[in-house]
Amino acid sequence: MESLGDTLWDVVICGTDLQQSLLALSLSRSGKKILHIDPNGYYGGTEAAFSLQEAESWVTDVAASVAAATNGTCPWRSASICKPEAAATEGQRAATGLSFPRAYSLALAPQIIHTRSDLLSQLVSSCAYRQIEFLAVGSFYIFKASAPAQASKEMGKPTLSRIPATREDVFSTTAITAKAKRGLMKFLKFVMDYDSPPQTESWGRYADVPLTEFVQMEFKMDNELQTYIVTLTLSLDGRISTKDGLAVIHRHLTSMGVFGSGFAAVYPKWGGLSEIAQVACRAAAVGGAVYMLGTDIKTMQESSDTHDANLVMSVELSSGDTIKTRMLVRASVQDHSTTGDGVSGAMGISRLVTVIDTPLKSLFAAVVEGSPTPAVAVIAFPVGSVTTATGKVSENPVYVFAHSSDTGECPVGQSVLYFTTLSTPDSKEILMQAMDSLLTAIAAEEHAPRSLFQLHYEQARGATNSQTQGLIFDFPSPSLSLSFDDSSLESVRQAWSRITDESVAEMEYMTFPDREGAMSDEDEMYT
Amino acid sequence: MSDDSLPTLKILLIGPSGAGKSALLTRYCDDEFDPDTATATIGIDFKIKKLSVRGKAYRLTLFDTAGQERFRTLSTSFYRGAHGVILVYDVSSRASFRTMERWFEEAENNTVEDAVLYLVGAKLDKAEHNGGGREVSPEEGRRLAKAHGAMFCEASSKTRENVRKPFVELVDAIVSKPELLVGNRVRRRAAGTVDMHDDGAAGYLPSCAC
Repeated sequence: MESLGDTLWDVVICGTDLQQSLLALSLSRSGKKILHIDPNGYYGGTEAAFSLQEAESWVTDVAASVAAATNGTCPWRSASICKPEAAATEGQRAATGLSFPRAYSLALAPQIIHTRSDLLSQLVSSCAYRQIEFLAVGSFYIFKASAPAQASKEMGKPTLSRIPATREDVFSTTAITAKAKRGLMKFLKFVMDYDSPPQTESWGRYADVPLTEFVQMEFKMDNELQTYIVTLTLSLDGRISTKDGLAVIHRHLTSMGVFGSGFAAVYPKWGGLSEIAQVACRAAAVGGAVYMLGTDIKTMQESSDTHDANLVMSVELSSGDTIKTRMLVRASVQDHSTTGDGVSGAMGISRLVTVIDTPLKSLFAAVVEGSPTPAVAVIAFPVGSVTTATGKVSENPVYVFAHSSDTGECPVGQSVLYFTTLSTPDSKEILMQAMDSLLTAIAAEEHAPRSLFQLHYEQARGATNSQTQGLIFDFPSPSLSLSFDDSSLESVRQAWSRITDESVAEMEYMTFPDREGAMSDEDEMYT
Repeated sequence: MSDDSLPTLKILLIGPSGAGKSALLTRYCDDEFDPDTATATIGIDFKIKKLSVRGKAYRLTLFDTAGQERFRTLSTSFYRGAHGVILVYDVSSRASFRTMERWFEEAENNTVEDAVLYLVGAKLDKAEHNGGGREVSPEEGRRLAKAHGAMFCEASSKTRENVRKPFVELVDAIVSKPELLVGNRVRRRAAGTVDMHDDGAAGYLPSCAC
């Protein structure tokens, strides 16, 4: 077999995060010589999905890379795992405890994908979607910490209030008053063509102020309705601008019903974006790309190729091979610990992933007749609705993605909750409290759910733009957004154009004929 | 009955580079054998073959490793939903046989418990060249298969000997396991998943404004 060093590679891609994997997919019919490596022993990079065992070794790796300060590309901090149930039932495995480690596939960066996202149209036009199962994202809920009940000093039980998502839904809900319904309906109608002339005038002067202010002033929405609206945007700080907020809600509303009734977004089974990355890499391998995991770049330098007047990169791999390539594409290599980044500054998020011992069925009920059973539900804790035992109050919304076992991320009978909030000194405590409160809120409907496994970590946002230097192209660091951000597709296309000959039309980008059809039509008989 | 409506079985061929996976697949599906294509097959995602077992037709989707076996980078998604796995080594290469324990481990770790495994010693023709080429005895192969609850045979894509046997026996074993075929697992898509069919633009038009 030809050794790696004998080939002049057209591109070496480092990392199998979604962006790098989509780049590999986009080049999978180009005939280019592609070497795709990943320093990790698994696919998916920052979007990976882990078994319990893999999660544990990942936590160890994060600690080691933080300690060694070798974490130029590592956006993670403070990763830890806790198994409350294991501690409680010391030695004797509870019947409802954790299943075997591989029964789980926990996503590091779960993102829902709106049905109008270009990611889905690219997966369809490239035929990669055939190997991916998409599940419906169902209802959005608001957590309500109830006020003390009258005639009693005890706090009432917290509840979840479902946000009506469609017009029919708004009419039928009993959760809001008739007056509020009219305001909401008026707003939803407005958003549908917020971007055409008469409407643009009405929100133009609010463009850069928070959306909440706009809907309060122009649609007389009360606090509760404002929370509904902000929750639909999944804004991490709850202060999304009117301009951005209207765009996101427009996307949400127009995504409703695209692939079936009752849902606006989908989630890939078995761990979300990680699955897309793996399928994209497989498609590239089918096209001839060579894959190596657990392989990093040790050194690199530009040199001139003997057969070619053009400059090439000489790259030394940790495997010991030294290879030559015309182009190198990597993840952003900014040092996350020191780099401020525009307005967002040192923005980061705090996450808590927890396995729950009950299926939380009530969260996954289909609301619209004929719609597929949702596998994902979204729950928002509005600003100020979480108070810890030590009296700390949440300054930012906390968002929860509840995943049923239909996602393949946990065994039947269990569920996975992904909590996210902006990083603050108290964010871990806030997330833990939010988890307890949520379990209490759901407890009425199901037998006291318990948390069996908890993975906590912080994720920093690095560079927001791609960078090109000589023969090196660096992708921006992944978006922290909770719904898939189409802007990350733009840098994939940029990288693709750098590698692709000018003769290839942009129209052909990610548009491939089906590879299926290698059907041999003889019918074998065997009795 | 159109082919699309047949129950679909996902079958994988794995094993070390150069063991003869693609040759076995090509011989079985297309009855072709090219002694010169030693390099990894490019451009074929999977092959489809119709096979009837016990009077019932099945649509087999047969997935090759697409070169991802070379540095052992098959993804977990590759293994998903597999009903059966054919593990291929080269009877004329002791080195290829030595890697099989790890391939079994990977297959067992990434497939459901009921998935059927089948071990194939390929390039049987080399062994039979005056017996000179053989480096792995049939007993060794049989013993390894047995240790993993797998079925076993030796085959030659060159001479066609036993080429159909692993596929037919594997499918026969799969369809005799009702737990492997329950619910929607033999369908292309499970219930509850979203259909992303690409029938022109229809799928992208909003059917409900909100």
